[in-house]
Amino acid sequence: MRNADGLAALAEIVRQRESGHAAERIGIDRRHFLAASGAALGALALAACDSMGPKSAKSLLTFAMNQNEVLERTLFRHTSIDVPKASALPAGSHFPSYFVSRHVPVWDPAARGPWHLEVSGLVRTPLRLSLTDLAALPRIGYKLDHFCVEGWTAVATRTGVRVADLAQLAGADRAARYVDFQSFDDGYHESWDIESAMHPQTLIVYAQDGHYLNAAWGAPARVFSPVKLGYKNTKYLTRIAFLPERNGGYWSDQGYEWYGGV
Amino acid sequence: MKRHHVVVRITHWVNVLALTIMVASGLRIFNAYPAFARKGESFCCYPFAGRPIPSWLTFGGWLAGARNWHFAMMWLLVVNGIVYLGFIYLHGEWRDLVPRRSVFRDAGEMMKFYLTIRKDHPRQGKHNALQRMAYFAMPLVGIVAVVTGVAIWKPVELAPLTHLLGGYVWARYWHFWAMFVLVVLAAVHIFMVFTVDPYSIPAMVTGQYRERWSPEARNARPFVHLAPAREEEDSHAQR
Repeated sequence: MRNADGLAALAEIVRQRESGHAAERIGIDRRHFLAASGAALGALALAACDSMGPKSAKSLLTFAMNQNEVLERTLFRHTSIDVPKASALPAGSHFPSYFVSRHVPVWDPAARGPWHLEVSGLVRTPLRLSLTDLAALPRIGYKLDHFCVEGWTAVATRTGVRVADLAQLAGADRAARYVDFQSFDDGYHESWDIESAMHPQTLIVYAQDGHYLNAAWGAPARVFSPVKLGYKNTKYLTRIAFLPERNGGYWSDQGYEWYGGV
Repeated sequence: MKRHHVVVRITHWVNVLALTIMVASGLRIFNAYPAFARKGESFCCYPFAGRPIPSWLTFGGWLAGARNWHFAMMWLLVVNGIVYLGFIYLHGEWRDLVPRRSVFRDAGEMMKFYLTIRKDHPRQGKHNALQRMAYFAMPLVGIVAVVTGVAIWKPVELAPLTHLLGGYVWARYWHFWAMFVLVVLAAVHIFMVFTVDPYSIPAMVTGQYRERWSPEARNARPFVHLAPAREEEDSHAQR
């Protein structure tokens, strides 16, 4: 009710101001004008609470997001690496599990044939890797922080293959400035800038805390890097596509930052 | 003579806007994980873990909306803060804000006056000692908020900074505290403006102020002696 009253007061004032020296005509003095304006502004502030804010601000927010991305990409270094605190405990079974399908996505070989990870797009030799193939490639294991967009962190040991090694193996083209990580989790995917994908801590992970991934954590394989927020790290991987242009992503198409850098 | 230079007046109100949006959107971001512990650990120092901030205090609608506002408005906050601090440094206003050697004794006298232990308002310049402390602390805590905010924005790219603050979890905790202190300072400030010196509102809008309106001249404490001196009322009534 207060919102409506305040807005009505504001509309009345605007109407009166537009029709000339309203203050003189109707005898509204400065104090009343200020009080009414204050009430109207207060009502607007209340009306704005827990809304997305004025629509007109959207272009400004997009502009800021793009400028932030320019700054973040300038700040980005392959030599900036994540080293979790020595005292940090691994999350273990407390590690959260997120997916967008209704149920935990599980690859069903009876229905879909054996699982493969496809490396394709702007590459000389497209690859089709089984889990055994992946495990035979140079193995990297790091204890790493996971930074979730929600604000929590969790530590886990991630074992897998560097995306940079896969890019080299497939002969990724120089024109591939972006990489799309696609999944069998109801179309979930997120595309990355090539620099972040080539970071030494960006891995195609098939084991967590020394065990092959379980379904909740993204089995058979997922991408993981501490330089990207959790939502950029596609689980239930099916395809790594090297692309000349960015290809959006599940959450970045809905309003989260496409860059999602840490 | 204006009480506040136009630069101070503009940066004050821009700061009101920027800080309000930063706090409200920050609280919406906080609500996505209203706790501090790393997953699988406990956190010593936050007894309200798991309890979200009431949504009417938040802004942004959802996590992505709040983040987009937070990461846009931070630039307004920072640029506005630099303009303000640069201006008061070059223009000399810092002399009214930097605590003098006697600030604690003077603040004690002000407290005695507010608690009615002391009858007459202590002598002051532009601001009393409590105001000096608050207005001096505000930018300092603001800087802490910005630095801790940058540390949790880029904990890998700017890892040395984040480590300096005790790591991501602690940096996030200090960021929360900085916000809380800013909110408390602002709340007390607003309370005192309305109950002790409402004449400072036009002073911060148009710059207009009379020494006879000052709390010292009125011997004003909260809710007491709000009315200006009688001759002021008369001259006002003629208009």
